[in-house]
Amino acid sequence: MHFEKSTLPNGLDVIVHEDHRVPLVAVNVWYHVGSKNETVGRTGLAHLFEHLMFEGGQHQPRGYFEPLQEAGASLNGSTSADRTNYWEVGPASTARLALWMEADRMGWLLPALTPARFETQRDVVLNERRQNYENRPYGLAQFALAEALYPPGHPYRWPTIGSAEDLRATTVDEVRAFFSRFYHPGNASLAIAGDIEAATAFDLASELFGQIPAGPPIRPVSAPDVPATGRRIMLTDRIELPRLYLIWPSPALFASGDAELDLAADLLANGRTARLYRRLVHEQRVATELAAAQSSRELGGMFQILATAAPGHSLQELEHLIAAALVELGANGPTPGELERSRVQAEAAFVYRQRTLGGFGGRADQLNAYNIYRGTPDAFAADLQRYLDVTAVSLRDAVSAWIDPSRALALSVVPAGQEPEALAGSEMVRPS
Amino acid sequence: MTPGDLSAPADRFTLPQPGAPTPVRFPPITRSTLENGVRIWSMPHTAIPVVSVALVVDAGAAQDPATRHGLASLTAHLSEEGAGGQDAIQLAETLARLGTHLDVDAGPDVTTVSFTSLRRFFEPALRVLADVVTRPHFHEPDLVRVRELRLNRLRQLSRSPATPADRAYLASVFGAHPYGHGVLGTTKSVGAITLDEVRAFHRSAWRPNAATLIVAGEIEHDLVVQTARALLGGWTRPRGSNPENQNSTPEVVSAPAVPLPAGRAHEILLVERPGAPQSELRIGHTGPSRRTPAYHALVTLNNVLGGDFSSRINRNLREAKGLTYGARTAFDLRRAGGSFVVQTSVQTAGTAAAITEILRECEAIRQDGAIQADELERAKSSLTRGYVRNFEAADDLVRGATQLVAYDLDDTTFDRFVPFVEAVTGAAVVDAARTYIRPESFTIVVVGDPDQCRPQLDTLGRTVAVTRPEF
Repeated sequence: MHFEKSTLPNGLDVIVHEDHRVPLVAVNVWYHVGSKNETVGRTGLAHLFEHLMFEGGQHQPRGYFEPLQEAGASLNGSTSADRTNYWEVGPASTARLALWMEADRMGWLLPALTPARFETQRDVVLNERRQNYENRPYGLAQFALAEALYPPGHPYRWPTIGSAEDLRATTVDEVRAFFSRFYHPGNASLAIAGDIEAATAFDLASELFGQIPAGPPIRPVSAPDVPATGRRIMLTDRIELPRLYLIWPSPALFASGDAELDLAADLLANGRTARLYRRLVHEQRVATELAAAQSSRELGGMFQILATAAPGHSLQELEHLIAAALVELGANGPTPGELERSRVQAEAAFVYRQRTLGGFGGRADQLNAYNIYRGTPDAFAADLQRYLDVTAVSLRDAVSAWIDPSRALALSVVPAGQEPEALAGSEMVRPS
Repeated sequence: MTPGDLSAPADRFTLPQPGAPTPVRFPPITRSTLENGVRIWSMPHTAIPVVSVALVVDAGAAQDPATRHGLASLTAHLSEEGAGGQDAIQLAETLARLGTHLDVDAGPDVTTVSFTSLRRFFEPALRVLADVVTRPHFHEPDLVRVRELRLNRLRQLSRSPATPADRAYLASVFGAHPYGHGVLGTTKSVGAITLDEVRAFHRSAWRPNAATLIVAGEIEHDLVVQTARALLGGWTRPRGSNPENQNSTPEVVSAPAVPLPAGRAHEILLVERPGAPQSELRIGHTGPSRRTPAYHALVTLNNVLGGDFSSRINRNLREAKGLTYGARTAFDLRRAGGSFVVQTSVQTAGTAAAITEILRECEAIRQDGAIQADELERAKSSLTRGYVRNFEAADDLVRGATQLVAYDLDDTTFDRFVPFVEAVTGAAVVDAARTYIRPESFTIVVVGDPDQCRPQLDTLGRTVAVTRPEF
């Protein structure tokens, strides 16, 4: 993917990807701040900011949705443990407006941040938390897992949406201080993609963002080691069928073994030909849902397998079958056929990833992701190559090094009143 | 220095104005018809080396027999469990080695089987699609397995807040009409489905002369037709059908027209979900079909009232009151009719307040002069300027063409959207609201904690009936 990059004197990286095939422009901003930059007792701030950032800046306090939607753009943002992103996609004529708006909230958000706005958005976030976690079947499982896997003080221990208690205790002054620390050009990356001349895009970026002062340097977050635990915990929920989650600490994003475990997750659970899916769901019919993922982040990864028991089958049965498949993969690695299949799928996935200019996962978003995580937007080929470089031996070794079935953190989520359905010896937890 | 202390450059004080709407030109569709009646539509699209493909058949859940809800969907899913001599695993493996997979989607009106693949795998991937569509095995052990997965999925969905809300809403507004049941069916109806019924449904609904193959990508129409003829040309109407009808396009199998709302609905339907921290709401009634002449007025009305983030209902419930993470309205317009629905999930303590506000907003938009010129212009501007975003990728074009097939719309449908919306007046929007939004006829569904909701709902002046949607 072709692009040009330059850095403004205030430290803002500007990446331009010119493509005139569709009359659209995508603007995308990444801030290198996520829930990992928060502190114990004040969790949820990065995500709360994702909301406040749409409420308005000093020069257009009406909010972001109205002017941008009126111009034909769609817009959104998201927050993870590692980063926050914001984007607009619209007809080519929206380029200046979208950049103007992004610049206004990067440089001039705080004058528009009133206590009333803050309180309303905190209530909205508390409702988002209820809707997406508290009122959703199995919705608290990820909270329980993070709390059990990561030691106290580890920045991945708390959920990105934050604890309700912390959100209620946070003051407007704390919110302002968080913004001043993390939301500035030196901690951001701007990508502009689509139907716009590169020179025009750079001029606009320089004109609109150039006067925002550089912010304070940001110290990297450090994290304690995460040992594999072998712990067994359980939760009860408003559900029909018991579900087992098995979790291991795993390599960080782009670290050695990350691509291997990504492919291992696919060949275990992604699609009907995957080993575990085929065995547990298709042939033996002991599980009714199955998934696996290598979720890799900056400070470390988490390898996860989940399986929901079919009626009449126990979580223990699932655990045995999954352990056997892991031992087998860790001992013998993938077959040549499995490896070939993974290779084709990886290549195709990299082509499909180019389907849209903007939005979540669009080309502008990918350029920023590489720029933030790799220091250069030019990492597509290298990223694909690490998947093509996976061998049967390297995949086998990554599985045997990281995914020891006897040391999994095991979470049983069972229907309230059916506590004996959990794995034996599970300790009841209540995620905060 | 904090960023707020900056003296801003002068141009910061002037919000850039939107440009003129970008004209939308849907790509020309080149059409052919195979000897057996399969229609072939192709559209050029050259951004990246992929092709997007969908086969659309007139086999929707509206055709489910009354005691076999879920049959259309189960038939569709069973078709990829073995076809053309390959079992389910072999089919999946073949596709995985082409870097793709099939998506099978049974909707209320049509079923689509689709894939996106690298351009160079068009032929082998289409071969699998053709096998699945024309040569499914329908073996008993596969039915047993797929039915069991479906029953478990229904059990899981019964515990979410959203699906019970949808089911209670559909059942109430559509009643016994074929749109009144969930596409997935119920434990009882799906549990009773036999292999003979699947075969019979497939025979009657999945017919070459009721099927359209849609292709978008960097591929010549002639090559699409040639490949389709080789792979789908042998698909014939099975034994017992009238060979004289083989080549004619059959009359579209259609559900009876949905009646528009009439009369008063007094009951609030409460689905009990003890301990729920939020109440899931569905509020609405029946509506017109996708072919309604009021379409552009309804789209504009929806944008003003609740279709977007900055629409009235979301601004009120989320941005002014902080009661919800989001609230939306939609006109779900189908072939034989549709519905209007407000959907949201609100904090339990605000259940009655949210319902009251929603009813107030729906009533307000029906009044004379309800829409100021600037609000109307903003809505129209958002719709017309943003329309071009819907046609970026190859699969966007396939999705667009699928609507043309499903609702029997003509080729100017997308190109005329911008000028037609531009011509919508405030009076036309209020007229549309008066005809198609009737708060006195609304069904109100609440999925929430009974102890906390009941006292609130009792203040709304409607009776409250507890219901349990069927799963």
